[in-house]
Amino acid sequence: MAFHNKPGFAFRRIFFVLSGIIFLCWACQEDEICEDITANDLRIGFYRIGQDHDQWAVVDSLRVFSLEQADIPVHEHLTSVSVLELPLNPATDNCAFVIDFYPITDTLWLTYQRETQFISVECGFTMFFELTGINHTNNHIVAIEETTTYVTNTLDEHLKVFIPDPGNGDEPQPGFTGK
Amino acid sequence: MVMSLSQGLRANNDAGYSPSVRVGLDVSGFARQLVEPETMFREISLDVEWKYNHFVAVEAGLLDIDVQKQTHRYMAGGYYLRLGPDFNVLGRKPEAPNDLVLLSLRYGFSKLDHEAPFILIPDPYWGDFQTAVDSESYSAHWIEAGISLKTELGYNVFIGWSLRGKLLLYNTREAEMEPYFIGGFGKTGRNTGLMLHYHIYYRIPFR
Repeated sequence: MAFHNKPGFAFRRIFFVLSGIIFLCWACQEDEICEDITANDLRIGFYRIGQDHDQWAVVDSLRVFSLEQADIPVHEHLTSVSVLELPLNPATDNCAFVIDFYPITDTLWLTYQRETQFISVECGFTMFFELTGINHTNNHIVAIEETTTYVTNTLDEHLKVFIPDPGNGDEPQPGFTGK
Repeated sequence: MVMSLSQGLRANNDAGYSPSVRVGLDVSGFARQLVEPETMFREISLDVEWKYNHFVAVEAGLLDIDVQKQTHRYMAGGYYLRLGPDFNVLGRKPEAPNDLVLLSLRYGFSKLDHEAPFILIPDPYWGDFQTAVDSESYSAHWIEAGISLKTELGYNVFIGWSLRGKLLLYNTREAEMEPYFIGGFGKTGRNTGLMLHYHIYYRIPFR
């Protein structure tokens, strides 16, 4: 009897074909890029107060520096900004950033808990954060809404920062807001 | 489908059935070690056909991870256990009594100790941050369901693969560090997982 006529041959053929397909699918999974999967910046979206909260506002230009390293800018000069990424300090449980909207500046104080996270053998460790407190001045920023507490390697937006709508003639009232 | 299944069962009742124990070795652990030499897990299994087309299976394994890189050192060691039933949905055809398509359910448990004596997290703005995590114990419980195919090559030697979806039920919450890999479950970071296993088995017939 030829092999292909032996009992169970059809089953074995299906078995091996499926084995191969599944194995190939498994083996062809995309390699991880370390810079992407260890990135853990806090992501801020800008919105106009009183406008659609699903649509970003565009800030003409700004720069950012931290209070701890004021001589080293986080972002030197950015234009047409809708989303801002800020690096939380992995060595401490708090840090503060000054956002210069030219010429008005606001300060953002952030407190958080840190969790060391092993990402992969090749990429090593990164730090994940859980936001526990946000304080800010109200010179240009009207309000801040927290949308996601956990700052990890996903592309989530963590904070919505509301700024005045010039079309409504909104003028910010200088002050301080804390949470 | 249920009717044809029950008819198949009746037609094949006792066809090719003899009580047996099958011992298996999961070779996917060896394959993984080729790609990632730092991660080692070894697993053996035992299944018994206690009733026609109904099996009970136990799978046990050891996990050993030792990673040493310029930016980190991570070590983990532990064991895991899975227990549950299999049901052969193919019935048993008289001409091929040892071809099996199994639906599987498992309860899994894993325990490990892990530590990271050296961690360097590079940060382009704040500078490199060096830390360490002392040795700590971690345990996890999960359930899994899946499908597997087994076929006899001859002389009671079987090969098979299984695809399992997993759902984490409980893990050590106060852990300072999530383990990189839970033995028997897979990579952490999510409550669900999917694992592919390849096995070689030897069947020990009772009679």
